[in-house]
Amino acid sequence: MSTTTPKSDYMLLFRGTNWDEGISPEQRQKVVTDWYAWFERLKQEGKCTGGHPLENEGKLVSGKKGRSVADGPFAESKEAIGGYFYLQVAGEDEAIAIAQQCPGLDYGAVVEVRPVAEMCAVRSRAVEFAERTGTLASATA
Amino acid sequence: MSAPTPKSEYMLFFRGPHWDRGLSAEELQQVMAQVMAWFEGLKHQGKVKAGQPLGAEGKHVSGKKGRTIADGPFAESKEAVGGYLLVEAENLDEAVAIAKSNPTLEYGVTIEVRPVLEECPIFDRARKRLLSDAMA
Repeated sequence: MSTTTPKSDYMLLFRGTNWDEGISPEQRQKVVTDWYAWFERLKQEGKCTGGHPLENEGKLVSGKKGRSVADGPFAESKEAIGGYFYLQVAGEDEAIAIAQQCPGLDYGAVVEVRPVAEMCAVRSRAVEFAERTGTLASATA
Repeated sequence: MSAPTPKSEYMLFFRGPHWDRGLSAEELQQVMAQVMAWFEGLKHQGKVKAGQPLGAEGKHVSGKKGRTIADGPFAESKEAVGGYLLVEAENLDEAVAIAKSNPTLEYGVTIEVRPVLEECPIFDRARKRLLSDAMA
């Protein structure tokens, strides 16, 4: 009986929402087919537990009480996030290896690989301060 | 009993993970308590499908066969994604209202609100092009 490898959670953020401009319909069809096959295979292997494409329109909320609500477009930007995969893999190397299989890479898509954190960095800093000053109870409540 | 309103999913990306710079430690603790309360409130209302912070480390993979691997840090940039929340809401207005109620906006965080799609627009373009080619 084999022991299960401990898993780590990673997110793949697919950046670039119009990298398919200028490619032939046959190339685009191949990328689409390859991408679906890639997603299905990862899910079957238990390495990908979710993923979605995102609509290019959306809103950017900022400022006090979120008083500034700006429209996209997010579609123009090479940085815009077009979708994501949620991975459960052995470690960063495996997450990167999976990212390298993305069929959009050949056409200019960029894949951002990010570890999912146990605790947000800001909260960690708050907890750290609380531990130093002995006010831990309220920080972790 | 009326039928439930169909809900949609929205992705919230929180950008600017160093918004706590310049805050006193007491202020930070207060804000964190507000953030936790905000999050718990949303979970209680059944609006949260998923949500996590993202580590500051990470990589950018690009180029043919992903041969270029660039390091972070991503956390320095105001644009860097510090975490995400997948919420269920009636429509974009409600998703935006959820974003607006987040306490970290006061400190410079920006929140990107994106509707989750069934199908990727690029796939959609491929399908439409195939169809129009077939009919030509």
